[in-house]
Amino acid sequence: MFLSVGVRFEANVEALNMVETAGNYSKHRRVPYLVEEDGKLKSVYVPAVSGESLAHAYQEHLVREALGMGLPVCDDCAKGEFFKSMDEVHLAPKLFLLDRVFKTVFRDVTTVSDETLRILNEELEKAKKSKKLNEEKIAQLKSYIELIQRFKNADNPRALFIQHKSVASQVIGNYMIKKNILDLSPYTIEEIIVKNCTIEDIGGFMYAGSPPVRRSSVFQVSYALPIKSMALFATAEPQLHARHAQMEGGKKGNVSEQMIYYVETGTALYGFTFNLDLDAIGVSAITSKPILDEDEIKKRREAALKALFRMLSSAQFGAKLSRFFPVGGITELVVSVTEHPFVVTSPIYDDYAEKTEKRLKVLESFGESYFYAKSSGEKLPEEVLKEAIEYIREKGHI
Amino acid sequence: MEEFRGIVNMLRFFVRTKNFGYVDRIGNALTPEPVEVALLEAMRAFRSIWESAKTDEGGRYIEKDGEKIYVPKIPSDSEVENFLNAVRENIRIAKRVATLALAYPSKKEKNGGGE
Repeated sequence: MFLSVGVRFEANVEALNMVETAGNYSKHRRVPYLVEEDGKLKSVYVPAVSGESLAHAYQEHLVREALGMGLPVCDDCAKGEFFKSMDEVHLAPKLFLLDRVFKTVFRDVTTVSDETLRILNEELEKAKKSKKLNEEKIAQLKSYIELIQRFKNADNPRALFIQHKSVASQVIGNYMIKKNILDLSPYTIEEIIVKNCTIEDIGGFMYAGSPPVRRSSVFQVSYALPIKSMALFATAEPQLHARHAQMEGGKKGNVSEQMIYYVETGTALYGFTFNLDLDAIGVSAITSKPILDEDEIKKRREAALKALFRMLSSAQFGAKLSRFFPVGGITELVVSVTEHPFVVTSPIYDDYAEKTEKRLKVLESFGESYFYAKSSGEKLPEEVLKEAIEYIREKGHI
Repeated sequence: MEEFRGIVNMLRFFVRTKNFGYVDRIGNALTPEPVEVALLEAMRAFRSIWESAKTDEGGRYIEKDGEKIYVPKIPSDSEVENFLNAVRENIRIAKRVATLALAYPSKKEKNGGGE
């Protein structure tokens, strides 16, 4: 099933996506935008919120929902640091956090340990003979050797790695994986990551080790841009603020009594599109076969939908919310749920809802069933999203 | 391009601070309008940096990753005006200025170039 949402939201005096600070001046993100005026096209610069920013917020909500439902989330993602298994060291903890993964990867602890110790001892000898001052490296190698020796003889080797997570990640990443001691094919790597982390299953990852493995994000999100008919009324204006310091007996260091700073605030009626391919959750991007069992896939789908609901209903997306929480809210929302990919017409156009409905009717003529709803005066955006989730539940996908 | 040296130096300062946004937008512009917008934003940011920069015997500087980066002088209004007029005449000038800003300066700039 494929869910597509078009959202229009009004944001007055927002600083949702700041791009840089120059001196005492914080700038809002701006993008070139094509608008029509007097029958002619022209480009103007308008405030915008990047898709990266919205995607980050969505994944933060996903972390909370996943953890709340007892689904696995890796340590980095749980902290809101979406490194996404970018290299061997960030992949390493996923090899021992889940028992079922550990058992398949470290089948023969003795052989793996012996081979790792051989390489570490060679490195240690090289480091000792080197003319360079590398006491730090020597100490590090010794700590790796000590851990692997204990690992080899441990009653519960997985518990030992968990206890020394940081050192274990480095030695596994930099030696066991990089030196090909562990037998990890691209499919195995994807399987390990997906089993260990709901966020990387849904949000995708790019493992840049050898062999490199990538998984496309199951969700897609556009930039939030001012709607076309009102783009020329959108503004990005710097607001002056001041910080005062209590002074007694002159200046304190370099701090002046009054520090002034500018924050560019945007005001616009924004529109963005969010898509979610529910069929791709828990399914390998390499073999197109399920990696997880049906129950877990359904739970993850539900977490993905709940995270979207929470993000939109709480307006917890973007930056600087603590002092520039946008005044406004969702003005309109349309949702479509289809059997196969279908994206709602972009909400930056005034007739997006009607056009989406017409396009869906064409789809219906091909014998494909669908769900469509739009918020209105009586129907709240939250009610529309709930209806969509209920439809997916009725169809047995969650 | 000597007549636009101040703008080149300003853009080169942004390149040295790993802020490629302005130079890219000026260099990749297809029409004069984006150059005007990018230059306005660059000038605004540059003035903020310039005014809050520290000073020593070498001139104004900022610190980034433990390194002192000297801040060149603010381009003069006549230089900016001439540049914008030249870009209106020929958009390729914007690309040349951006390209020069990305190049290594032929003369080592010990300081920011004074005020």
